[in-house]
Amino acid sequence: MHKLNQIRIVLGKGAEMIVAALLFSMFATFLLQIFFRFFTDLPVGWTVEWVTIAWLWGILFGFAFVVRESDIIRLDVLYSALPRGARRVMDVITGLTLAGVFLYTLPACWDYIDFMMRERTAYMRLPFFWVFLVYIPFALSVVVRGLITAYAGFTGTGRLHDTAKNAESFDHD
Amino acid sequence: MIDPFILSLIIIVALSLFGASVGLAMIAGSFVYLIVAGPDSSIAAETMLQGLFNNYTLLAIPLFILAADIMNIGSLADRLLRFAQALVGRFRGGLGHVNVVSSLIFSGMSGSAVADAVGMGKIIINLMTRDGKYTKSYAAAITAATATVGPIIPPSIPMVLYAIVSDQSVGFLFAAGMLPGLLMALSMAIMNYIIARKRDFPVDDVVPMRELPRITWKALPALMLPVILLGGIYSGVMTPTEAAAVAALYALLISVIFYRSVSLKDFYEALLGSARSTASVGVLVAGAITFNYVIAREQLPVTISDMLGQYDFTKVQFLIVVNILFLVLGMVLEGGAILLIIVPILIPSVQAMGIDLVHFGVIVVVNAMLGLITPPYGLLLFITANITDEPIGRIIRDIWPFIAALLVALMIITFVPDFVLFLPRLLGYQG
Repeated sequence: MHKLNQIRIVLGKGAEMIVAALLFSMFATFLLQIFFRFFTDLPVGWTVEWVTIAWLWGILFGFAFVVRESDIIRLDVLYSALPRGARRVMDVITGLTLAGVFLYTLPACWDYIDFMMRERTAYMRLPFFWVFLVYIPFALSVVVRGLITAYAGFTGTGRLHDTAKNAESFDHD
Repeated sequence: MIDPFILSLIIIVALSLFGASVGLAMIAGSFVYLIVAGPDSSIAAETMLQGLFNNYTLLAIPLFILAADIMNIGSLADRLLRFAQALVGRFRGGLGHVNVVSSLIFSGMSGSAVADAVGMGKIIINLMTRDGKYTKSYAAAITAATATVGPIIPPSIPMVLYAIVSDQSVGFLFAAGMLPGLLMALSMAIMNYIIARKRDFPVDDVVPMRELPRITWKALPALMLPVILLGGIYSGVMTPTEAAAVAALYALLISVIFYRSVSLKDFYEALLGSARSTASVGVLVAGAITFNYVIAREQLPVTISDMLGQYDFTKVQFLIVVNILFLVLGMVLEGGAILLIIVPILIPSVQAMGIDLVHFGVIVVVNAMLGLITPPYGLLLFITANITDEPIGRIIRDIWPFIAALLVALMIITFVPDFVLFLPRLLGYQG
């Protein structure tokens, strides 16, 4: 168990580095794009394409492996106001529903992504399969997290999030 | 057999109320709709992936978040505060005014109210309560209230979200926020003055006038950022999306070069924190994009527009109803959710009423920001409560006067469109 935990921490750190690197690459690419446009004749089409790929991957990969339960945007006014027993029931319902829906639809989504092997992005000629592939780990993480939430509800191991305590992380508002 | 659209609505509302991620709830609801209504559930994934990939404007969001995070690790907030103190600290309720002015300046650099409260908030609350001059709850209340100006004055992440759902120009929306932001700041300064007299707040230590040039000089690099941003956008040198990257670069450069306050580790932490926020709001955006497919297929916005059409609302009545609707929603929803879920449904009705969509955008964003300080669910209340360790109830008691002041500003913003549209028109907006 100890070893497993260690592996989890190392993988977690790795995932954090990946999303930080993706964001940094967006930042740097935008600056390059401005520079290229004004000071050189070099083409800038690929820059737009790269930042959109980094954005898509940053969101789905980040949500799968880096976003903590406390970072997730929720509407938990009702949830927070209810007693523990009711919250546990809600956790079981939401966890199982999300896990069920994302698992049930996974084969169809895989077919779509697999189909997109035939289409390529406009500048880098990268098959869309690779761009959209990140959906699979994202969906799987939703399934796993849903099951964990449901399990926590069953066993009563406690609450996984509290928006009032972590309001700082919502700096898109 | 239950109607698939109703079923998807029930799932989304139930999952959200039961504490699931709002973004995931919308994706799941769309999946269920497609499973029942057909033809293929993968359309939801397709809509989401294509929508995220093809929406270039959205890319401003991560970079504005990054810019704000970089500003908050550097000592930018500190410098600005000293400048604001030298400027308005001499009046009664001085630190309250300093709070207003520093939020105003900060809002010209960051596009997020939450980032404003986190960065500037900690320092100014400390300053206000240090010698027991102001109560903790008052310091917390005015800090939360003034932070709402952040996304009204450009740049602004919520305006970018609105631009996406309404298909309006980010540049004109940014320009439209300028005067309303100043008006909101003014209304809060007046309220602070009235309260300071009534509660007899002390006059603070005055920074001598001869110090002003030196303090201004030191704050100048930070003060220049809004000029660079807006100048860059309106002269056409850069798109608003690129401006977000430039803002991040500029904040990084002045923090490193002028103020020498950022280490490599700080920068990494800023990147990571921003990436986290981005993924979190990104899934909300993804959910909204996905569910908007369902809404469009069901022609819900048209139905609502037709329904409203039967009531013969005048423009004024319609705007009053919309304002009340948003204020009530703001009590229980966070800003991004209001902008991404509710606004798209209303856009056709707004157009049918002949209301300008840039004007409407400012109204909606101001409402969404008010939602951040209206109980029971107000992110800014939570943040300042965490900083001060005060019970939320006490902060709420002190924030009512500021909510009232902001409502007065909101009324002017709502019913005097020429005031809001003055600057955009000056910059060539036809509307």
